[in-house]
Amino acid sequence: MLEITLSKKESYTLIRLNGEVDASNSVELDQAIQEILAAGTKKILVDGSTLEYISSAGLGVFMSYLEDFQDNNIAFVIFGLNDKVQNVFHILGLDQLITIEKDQHEALARIYDA
Amino acid sequence: MFRLPNIQLSKITVFLAILTWIGLLLVDLTRVFGNVNEIEVGLDSELTWILEIIFFILLYLFFSQSISRHQNENFLHLIWRAASTGLFATGVALLIVVLYNLMEDTALYSDPLLRNFFYHVNFALTSLFLVSTALLWKHLILYQRSKAVVQQWQAFEIILLVSMFFVLINKNDLDYGFFFGMTFLIIYSIILSANLKWIPYLTFKEKWKSILFLSTILICAGYLLYQTLDYSLKNPYFINLSQNLFLLGLFAFVIIYSLFSFLVTLFNLPTSSVFEQKLIEAINFQRLSQSIQPGENEEQVLDILMDSCMSAAYVDAAWLEIMPRDSDPKEIVHQRFISDEERLDVRQIMGQTKPFSDHLSNENNEKIEYIFGKIPHELYKSALVFPIRVNKKLLGNIFLVKEVKDGFNKEMINIISTFVGQASISVENYRLLNEAIVTERYKEELEIAQRVQRSLLPTELHHNTCFEIEGFSAAADEVGGDYYETYQFDDHNFALIIGDVSGKGTSAAFNMSQMKGIFHSLVQFGLPPITFLIKANNALSHCLEKNHFITTTYYLLDTASKNIRFARAGHCPTLYFNSALGRSEFLKINGMGLGMVRNQQYGDFLEEGKLTYAPRDVLVMYTDGIIEAKNLAAKEFGYDQLRNVLNLCHHLSAKEIKEEIIRKVYEFIGKDALPDDDYSLMVIKFIE
Repeated sequence: MLEITLSKKESYTLIRLNGEVDASNSVELDQAIQEILAAGTKKILVDGSTLEYISSAGLGVFMSYLEDFQDNNIAFVIFGLNDKVQNVFHILGLDQLITIEKDQHEALARIYDA
Repeated sequence: MFRLPNIQLSKITVFLAILTWIGLLLVDLTRVFGNVNEIEVGLDSELTWILEIIFFILLYLFFSQSISRHQNENFLHLIWRAASTGLFATGVALLIVVLYNLMEDTALYSDPLLRNFFYHVNFALTSLFLVSTALLWKHLILYQRSKAVVQQWQAFEIILLVSMFFVLINKNDLDYGFFFGMTFLIIYSIILSANLKWIPYLTFKEKWKSILFLSTILICAGYLLYQTLDYSLKNPYFINLSQNLFLLGLFAFVIIYSLFSFLVTLFNLPTSSVFEQKLIEAINFQRLSQSIQPGENEEQVLDILMDSCMSAAYVDAAWLEIMPRDSDPKEIVHQRFISDEERLDVRQIMGQTKPFSDHLSNENNEKIEYIFGKIPHELYKSALVFPIRVNKKLLGNIFLVKEVKDGFNKEMINIISTFVGQASISVENYRLLNEAIVTERYKEELEIAQRVQRSLLPTELHHNTCFEIEGFSAAADEVGGDYYETYQFDDHNFALIIGDVSGKGTSAAFNMSQMKGIFHSLVQFGLPPITFLIKANNALSHCLEKNHFITTTYYLLDTASKNIRFARAGHCPTLYFNSALGRSEFLKINGMGLGMVRNQQYGDFLEEGKLTYAPRDVLVMYTDGIIEAKNLAAKEFGYDQLRNVLNLCHHLSAKEIKEEIIRKVYEFIGKDALPDDDYSLMVIKFIE
């Protein structure tokens, strides 16, 4: 089960992921990111504090947008991951490609510093 | 054993019959000659009778054979055969009458011998007609054979046989015995004539024809009877052949049966169309119920359905509205006897008229079986709408309209309902069958994929006496994305790889086979682990989809120097049991999945690990399926548990360690939980 909530704030868009991302619902995550990019947002925050599990298919979705983010100068930050999920990112090496912060406060700070 | 062929037998009977007839003629003429000239010729009337009996029997044998050969011809043909024989016999009789009329003034006119000759000709033809007709009637009577009817007929044949010999007893007298026998035969003929079951099977047109033929037979038989009796009254010098119970009995039977058939057919004419209708309905029903063959179309079923419904209710126009599958407009198929314009007109009116409007606007009401009623249209006054449902989903609506008010009765609706039900079943069966075929094909292809993929995983892993190695792999779906393999450079140098392709199922399996290709291409160069991974990443960047990646760890093992060099491309950290320390730990080095950074910077993310092994050390390579294996409580097996298992079983052989880990994992997830990822494992135990 995966629940994706999009909320558009003044200067950034927040994606809240609740539940598990696996092969069956990774398409939903992909669509959500596509929508945000289409809207022209330059700052994206992903709230992963209620993300229980992410499979390789889910990680693949984030990975596939890395180039887009770089090319279009989009700031993309994930925050609030639990240890287990954080470890999945780490083992794969994805934490070296995506900015991951502890909480929303730090994530916002990272976005505005850049 | 010698057997006479049928054809010859019938020829012989004909020949014998003709001979008997000639004999009969000669005997009788001699007797008449003696009679006229009052000379005793020494020939008794018994001889005449015996020859007559033989003649009858031969005729009977001949016809029963020749007719049974044509047993399966239709009724009309049988009746026509009787009628034509009758016409021929009557024609000849009339010709003789005409001939006599022409000869009225000549001496021949009163010549008793000539007169008797013609009498014998008439007698022969009449007998021929009667015997053949009686045997044709036999086929009509026995059309629906039951034991009782067959016995009835057999009894009749015996009675006829006996009646032939009756003449020898009563000496050609019209005594009481003769009348008694005659009455008996007439009554029996009436009883037999109740067997008229063939008549309902005639179509309307055939009935008219059979009425015509039957009346011909009646007229011919009547005339021939009159002719025969007339002779015996008018001629003084005369051998009477007609006062024979068999001949008169046959007359009675032929005439009575023809008369009954004639009357019954006549009275059956008005109801004939109903019977035909029912027969058509039964045939239609059978056509509908035969399930459609694969490759054929549902169209055909619907076509038969429309025809059946239309003929069952005598409708004037009809069409079928097929519900859209997706968002296509409604499709109109099988439009019958109505123009597009008229149809749209009627349809619009129905959309506004109760009770049709309710159903047509809300078509998902499953309770409605059918709707019928009046419609305010100038031409069509009543309508019937029948929804066709397949698998509880509405396939379409049949619209039937008639030009009369209240054109649909309960009977029609019942039969249409049956047709619709049967058609639905046929369509449903057809769809199920097609689905089954498609599924079957997928299954076969998956089986092939499974076989191919199994062959991608090695059955034997390279090793030497310095270490034991064991592998295991189980896929969650038919095909999986896990991969492991070994390669031997020389006596002491080996390459090992374990990998996991992102995603699962068929797409993962394809990527895995690419990984195998890359491994075998690159391994031969003996590259250091990092270089190996950089080259693999380059190659995969061109063939992996944007959102796919592969994690892997590549090891070089040298058993001479006891060194292991390895690099990790985003794969789960290797578990290593250090026998000197007496505990196991994960070899955490930096790494990055293959295909995640598709440029030259990729190498920057990698780090090489080095270690020197000691005997009794254990190296466990595995995929994330094992770590993430979940039990019913959604708890993961996890790294710690894996490490604990190895801590407990490190002293066992590689094979036993492998089995212990697998056992623990399956024990953890429980019997009821289904594995949702691929599990792979490779265990190395160092010996020296």
